Amino acid sequence: MKAKDHHIEIEIDKLTRSIENVITSDSFPTEITILENSDLELISKKHGWRFDWKAEFRLPDRDVYKLTIRDNLSVIQGLISITEKADHVYIHLIESAPFNIGKQKVYLGVPGNLFAFACKLSFHRGDEGYVSFASKSNLIEHYSKTLGAKLFGNQLMIIDTIAASRLINKYFND
Amino acid sequence: MGLIREPMDIDFVVDPRPLSKEDQLKISEFIKADKKRRKGLLRKKKQLRTTIPG
Repeated sequence: MKAKDHHIEIEIDKLTRSIENVITSDSFPTEITILENSDLELISKKHGWRFDWKAEFRLPDRDVYKLTIRDNLSVIQGLISITEKADHVYIHLIESAPFNIGKQKVYLGVPGNLFAFACKLSFHRGDEGYVSFASKSNLIEHYSKTLGAKLFGNQLMIIDTIAASRLINKYFND
Repeated sequence: MGLIREPMDIDFVVDPRPLSKEDQLKISEFIKADKKRRKGLLRKKKQLRTTIPG
């Protein structure tokens, strides 16, 4: 792991769950691991990624994790950038891989997977599952319905302990 | 094990926005109040269990 000011104290190197192929509905076990320097080349805007993940990776207060299929660790399915605040986990960014965006997306479940991971991390840290993030206004309703997130104001949303537990049960109930 | 299937025409994205000190404070207050509320509910449940004759 990178040395950072707000470092994750507990080691969660690997967590397993799954994403689903849109066409075949086949489910593929996934892993979430910390993003490495060697991954940066593949997650540039040139490769279709929307955000500047290289810059995100270099910010000292951020931890960036990647979601991959267990049997294909070289292809990144999605990314999440978080900061551990004093009492909860704050999500700065979540982005699905370019091939998991839009009506032609290949896999379903990537963002839910990453949100569940943030909740799991929050529980591990003793923050009782609390996670916050800034939502785009057009996604507030969806986040509320699918994640159980509550609108806090100023487009800030919070996943509380109960919603976090539900999310974790969906993804980590093994 | 379940899965949250986002609609095909919707992409869940969280946009970058630094958390202001004011927002941070509000969130902390919310979390404190929510924890207190949950503990209160648990206490009530426990009291109910002990007062209802089995």
